[in-house]
Order: sequence, then C-alpha cells, then structure tokens
Amino acid sequence: MTALAAEGEWQRVSPKYVWVDLVARFVPGAIVTGLLFIPALASHLTWLFALPAISFIVLVIVLAFTPRRVRSIGYRLREDDLVFRRGIMWHRVVAVPYGRMQLVDVARGPIARAVGLAELRFVTAAAATGVTIPGLPEAEAEALRDRLVALAESRRAAL
Amino acid sequence: MTEAGERAWRLSDGEWHRLHPATPLLRGGIIFIALLGWVVVQFRDLWINIFLGSVVGEEPPEDPATSWILAHSWLAVLIAVGVLVLILGFGWLSWRMHEYRVTDELIEEREGIIWRRHRRGRLDRVQGVDIARPILPRIFGAARLEISMAGSDGSIRLSYVASRIADTLRAEILIAAAYRRSEEAAQQRPAAAAQPGVVPAPLASRAPAIANRVNAVVADFMAPELDQEVAPESVVEMHAGRLVGSTALRLAPVLLIVIAGAVAAGIWRPFTLIFLLPILIAIFGLAGREVLRALRYSIAATPDGIRIGYGLFSTANDTLPPGRIHAIEIRQPLLWRPFGWWRVRINKASSSAREGGSGLSSSTMLPVGTLDEVLRVLGLVLPDWAEPTAFTGTPPRGRWLRWFSWRRNGFAFDDRTVVIRRGALWRTLTLVPLARVQSVAIEDGPLTRAMGLARIEVHTVYGVVSAHIGALDAGDAAAMWRDTERLTLAALT
Repeated sequence: MTALAAEGEWQRVSPKYVWVDLVARFVPGAIVTGLLFIPALASHLTWLFALPAISFIVLVIVLAFTPRRVRSIGYRLREDDLVFRRGIMWHRVVAVPYGRMQLVDVARGPIARAVGLAELRFVTAAAATGVTIPGLPEAEAEALRDRLVALAESRRAAL
Repeated sequence: MTEAGERAWRLSDGEWHRLHPATPLLRGGIIFIALLGWVVVQFRDLWINIFLGSVVGEEPPEDPATSWILAHSWLAVLIAVGVLVLILGFGWLSWRMHEYRVTDELIEEREGIIWRRHRRGRLDRVQGVDIARPILPRIFGAARLEISMAGSDGSIRLSYVASRIADTLRAEILIAAAYRRSEEAAQQRPAAAAQPGVVPAPLASRAPAIANRVNAVVADFMAPELDQEVAPESVVEMHAGRLVGSTALRLAPVLLIVIAGAVAAGIWRPFTLIFLLPILIAIFGLAGREVLRALRYSIAATPDGIRIGYGLFSTANDTLPPGRIHAIEIRQPLLWRPFGWWRVRINKASSSAREGGSGLSSSTMLPVGTLDEVLRVLGLVLPDWAEPTAFTGTPPRGRWLRWFSWRRNGFAFDDRTVVIRRGALWRTLTLVPLARVQSVAIEDGPLTRAMGLARIEVHTVYGVVSAHIGALDAGDAAAMWRDTERLTLAALT
C-alpha cells in the first residue's frame, strides 16, 4: 500500500489549495466551538468549558495537518486509467479506467474561485468511485477535463 | 408468423400508435373506485330514500346535501350524468392523446391534454424491456412494458398495451435496438464484429455482443415462425415447501428478537403487547408476499437474455441481457446451512434498479436454491463457471479482525471474474465480471496499516451487492488491486 502510494510520479494539487481547505474546515469548526460555549455560559458550570476547549484543540490539530493532507492528494494519468490517492491516516488509492468515465465535472466553490482554483469530479456508473480532484488551477482543470473527455471517448466501452 | 406477430410488426413502423383502450380506467382506476366509494358513503341517506323509501317510509333526511338532491332530483341526475360524461370524455381524450412509436432510432411516447409530455429514448441506449402484469390490468388483458435505458436516461413506461402484443413488441424493440447498435458499431469500429468473444456476456465489450445479437436477429428472421408466446423451459423448479421453509428460517432471528422483546415488555407492562400485533402482521405480510411472488418463479435463457418470471396473481417478466448484470452474490444465512440452500442476488445496470417490473425487488435472481441450482443459474450468466480452488486469504495476524471467517475470507481471479469469499455466519461469495468493474480502491487505516493489512473495494453499479474484502495482507491487497485493474482494462479492449 505504502509502496503503491510511492511508486511513479504523482501530480500534486496546487499549494494554494491549503488555504481553501483551511477556510473550509475553520469556518464550521469555529461555529461548532462557538456553539459549544452556550451550555457553559447558560448553566454557569465551569467544567462545561471543557467542551469548547476540546473542540478548539481538535480544530487546531485538524488545521495543523492541512498542509500535510493536501500534499497527500495526488493523481496520475496512466496509459489506460487514472489513479487517484488521498489521505494520511486513512489511505485510499483508486484506479478508474478512462473508458468507465461517464461525466467529468469542473466545479468552483466560492473560496476556491477567490484563489483561482477549481475541482474536477469524475462520475462513473458506480457511486462509490468517488474521485474528486480538488485544488487545480482553473486553466489546468479545464485542460485536464478536455484531455480526459478525449481519452474517455477513445476508450469508450459499453456500460 | 402469427397474427399477433404481424400486428406487432406493424407497430414498430415509425407511426404513432395508441395504447390499450382500458388505459385511462386502469391508470385512474383506483381514484375512480375511491370516488365511487365516497359517493356511496356520503349519500347513504339518499340511497336509502331512493331504493328503500317505500319500505322504511318517507323520513325527512337529515343530511342537507341529500335533502337538496331530493328536492332537485332532475338537476341532480343531470349533474351526475354531466360529471360522468366529463370523466369518460376526459379519459377518452387522454387515451387519444397518449401515443407511442418505435422508429429506426427512437422510442417515443407522448401524452397529456393540456400539458403535453414527450419522452424519447434512443434505441441504442435500451438496456432491457420488462413486462409486468398487475392483477387489475391482467383482467382487462393489458400489460405494462417498461423499457429501461442506460445511464441516467430513465425509463419509458408504456402502460398499458394489450397483453397479446406485449411480448412481440418487446422482442421487436430489442431487435431494433440490436440493429441500431450494430449499425453504429459498424461505423465506429469496422473490425469489431470480427473479434472472437472474450467475455461470455453480450454487451461485455461490444464486439461479442454484436456478433451474438446479429446472430439472434438473423435466426429470428430465418425462423418460419416468431412465436414469442412459448415460454422457454425454466432451469430451476421452485418447491413450495422449500420456499416457505427458507423464508421462515430467514425471518426466524427477527421473529425471535421481536418475541423476546415482547416477553420482556409484557412482564414490564402488559398493555405494550398491543404494539406487537402490527409488527407481527407486517412481518408475516412481507413473508407471505415474498412466498407468493416466488411460487411461480422461473428462470431461463432466451436469445435476448435471461428471462426471470415471478408472481402468482400479478405476474412480471424481466428480461435481463447478461451484460446488464454487474455483480452476483451467492449468500447463505446460518440457518439455511443444514439444508444447503443459497440465495442469488445481483446488481444490474438500470435506472429501475430499485424496482422491478411490478415493484418487486428485482435484485433477487434466485430466491432459494440448492448449490446445484445455483450453479445452473450462474451458468446462464457465466457459462461453465466453477468456483476457483485457490483463494488468497487472510494472514494469521489478521485473525483478530475476522474471528470466525478468517479461514474463508479471501479472493481469487478466474479469466472472467474477480471472486470474493467472505463470512462464516453469513457465507457470501461475490462475483464481479471483470468487464463490468467500474473502478477499484485500496484502503487502509492507522490500525490495519500497523498490522500490515489493507482493504479492497471493487466498485460496481449501485445495488444490493457490495464487492469488498478487508483484512488482507498489504502486499496481497496491492497485487489484487493491480491485477483487478489490469484484467479490467484487458477485458475492456
């Protein structure tokens, strides 16, 4: 598995995606932490402040690992298939034959758009495939989409 | 060619045709009956007055609506007739406006009086045609044709067509679809049809599919008679006793839990037992429905694919091209083991995967059968399939994650499928044809990584069957991941 993740040249996502991921995780985390203050403030029980404290510590750890997590995202265009990997604690490596692609979506979230990034989503007939490459520069995402569509077209197989 | 055949052949000439005349009644049937019931109940006093007036004597009705009707009887009759004419006229119009046609390229359906609805499906996207005969339409000699399309195209439902043309129309659509596909393939890949069949399933890669289809089409044309009414012989015979027994055993654990809960609750507070009744009725109702449905189960190979029929009162026939089967699972609950019974379920590519022709869970390919019967059914999908002898299993250190099943947990490849064996209490064997694999993932977590283990998931289309296996040696898993991908790509080209 580790060997699988190490072999070959992996395409990395843009380092700017770290910021997108930070904001996307910080905002809900901060809201949850804020909400967890309510029981302590409402009941005047000092130990209840442990809830927001724990939440805050978890949030800091999650954020601290963001650069590492973003670095773990990689993809590789092989001759007949695309390989995608992600995760530092829970590794996942997926291989999708080009001929299996039904759709390629390019999506831009508000935060990603601010730094000029987009994400690429592959749809196969199986929902579990779940390959979404985040943090691609917009031009690169579109070029990649066109290339993948062409590859899928040339290797199209019956469903 | 039979008369029904001729009739149907004229139906796919690209002209618009109407559906079965009873369609509006059948589609609106429940509403109509409900309305009638409401009228009867609502004007109870009125009926008593009209029909039994002389017997019970002229009592002044209490209901204001009834007294109004009695006071203006002619007007009331006029309104009733008007409403009836309106309903009939509306039904007749909607029947007139509801048409379908099968052209060289498309199946089209249009309906609606004020809001027109127009659906069309490309023939080359047709995945299969199912026939359902619910009990009410059956009385009228009508059947529902459900034409499922590939991918997200949805399906076209022709409800209802006359039963006698349903089978021919189905065959005809499938043949037209095959022609369409082969024509297209001829344009795209001239050499395709010449390739020998690598995978047994038609549609697997298109090449053998087209060869098979064209052969089937030619055979159909050469045949002096196209008699679709003759049902092919089923390869499995369903025994009522076994069906009841297996269903009871399958539900036994659930029943035990419910009864144990009830006893506990009964000791605690007896009146809670009232709540038990609906649960029991639901369980028995479900079991009864399943048994009734499977009693007339039949499965057989036809040129169009595997034809599965079931249903005692409401019958349904699903024709499943083997290429539409994306995963097969053979499963044995613990209590079935003494009897050697197994159940076969499948994932299939279809927008109507959730429901079969008549709203039955069509993921079941064989409700219950012996190993021999299971192999016969499997033979329809994967001819000459035999269980691989050598499985790559769980290493000794993985036993902690598979307490009972570490001996059985494992995977193997044969030339057409990836085979995954799992479970000791619920024995499961999952087959995924390599040409059907959508993608393959390898996963591990902190704990499994420390133990040098990994998990593989083979992705197939949405369905009840999940092809995954955990607690594999990391090296074996990586090899399986590579092999699955390599063999899938080989099967695709």
